[in-house]
Amino acid sequence: MDNDQQSCESKESPDRSSLVSDDGKNIKSVLCQRCGSKVLCPGMAVFAEKELFLPSVRTKRNLSTSDGSVDGDTLTAHWLVDDMFTFENIGFTNNVGRIKYLICADCEIGPIGWHCLDDKTSYYVALERVNHA
Amino acid sequence: MDPRYDIPRRAGGGGGGSANSSPAMGAQSRRRKMPPRPADYKLQIIIIGARGVGKTSLMERFTDDTFCEACKSTVGVDFKIKTVELRGKKIRLQIWDTAGQERFNSITSAYYRGAKGIVLVYDITKQETFDDLPKWMKMIDKYASEEAELLLVGNKLDCETDRVISRQQAERFASRISGMRFCEASAKDNFNVDEIFLKLVDDILSKMPLEIPNKELSNSILSLQPEPEVPPELPPPRMRCC
Repeated sequence: MDNDQQSCESKESPDRSSLVSDDGKNIKSVLCQRCGSKVLCPGMAVFAEKELFLPSVRTKRNLSTSDGSVDGDTLTAHWLVDDMFTFENIGFTNNVGRIKYLICADCEIGPIGWHCLDDKTSYYVALERVNHA
Repeated sequence: MDPRYDIPRRAGGGGGGSANSSPAMGAQSRRRKMPPRPADYKLQIIIIGARGVGKTSLMERFTDDTFCEACKSTVGVDFKIKTVELRGKKIRLQIWDTAGQERFNSITSAYYRGAKGIVLVYDITKQETFDDLPKWMKMIDKYASEEAELLLVGNKLDCETDRVISRQQAERFASRISGMRFCEASAKDNFNVDEIFLKLVDDILSKMPLEIPNKELSNSILSLQPEPEVPPELPPPRMRCC
């Protein structure tokens, strides 16, 4: 599902070094962009680059698979954790194929991340879809 | 205790490290003053009850007041991980909401089996949701661990004028089931909602041995897809409370 077409280079954030520590972990807390709910504590995730398609956040029909054309972005910069219990707060959607999208546990905005049922030790949260503080 | 990292930050050229560990990692880890703190406990909680009693609202309202309908995915939420702190412990809750699976037998046994806490919800303004409780209890008796904490929640306290189930009625029901707590709540007004979960977690913790391995819950996603399982025969609900 991590599709390759329309793979736009993710905008290299100018302040990535302020987010990623030398050992590749998140320096800051990862928060929901809308409600501020804490998703990850500092130092709990590693930075990982992987092209993943995430449906866009705003539209109501964004996850519909019926018409095949899902609006969204291919994002490459993610926080990766290997255990779902590493998250402070996170929601999982029902399955879309073999994918579960990650959403804010409190306000349910999303998708902010991606999990494939075939890899039980990989949970991705897109840097672009969260705040850092 | 300094919560900040004490790591001298190299100008990384904006590239950001990749997931693999750098050789210098060991030395840096030793300099970190506060290692990330893992959760002390992991508990699975399920929320059950008849359709429309507000189970999902209870789950949403827990720990945060923000609520917005607009961006909810059409796919629906399967479960959530939420973190609470209680008695100085950090507790991760895996909360399953059974919305959309209200037919008793559509919720699989696996779902009950791992639950340390079960929140059984009814609507104080709808008689039938209260009448359904014995049916839910049958499922709990059949599938859930005997140690699971039970909490009966009369929801929609904000609709007091339409109330048909008295507090006493529900208290009587709860008192006949050993270890069942009861409270009323309003997810809409956020009345009692946090307390409900904290109380439940507190009850669960007090039953636990002091040090318990963190491995209580497996790291696999429990699927709520219907299993080809024969549902138990459910007798008509004829358990009167008055």
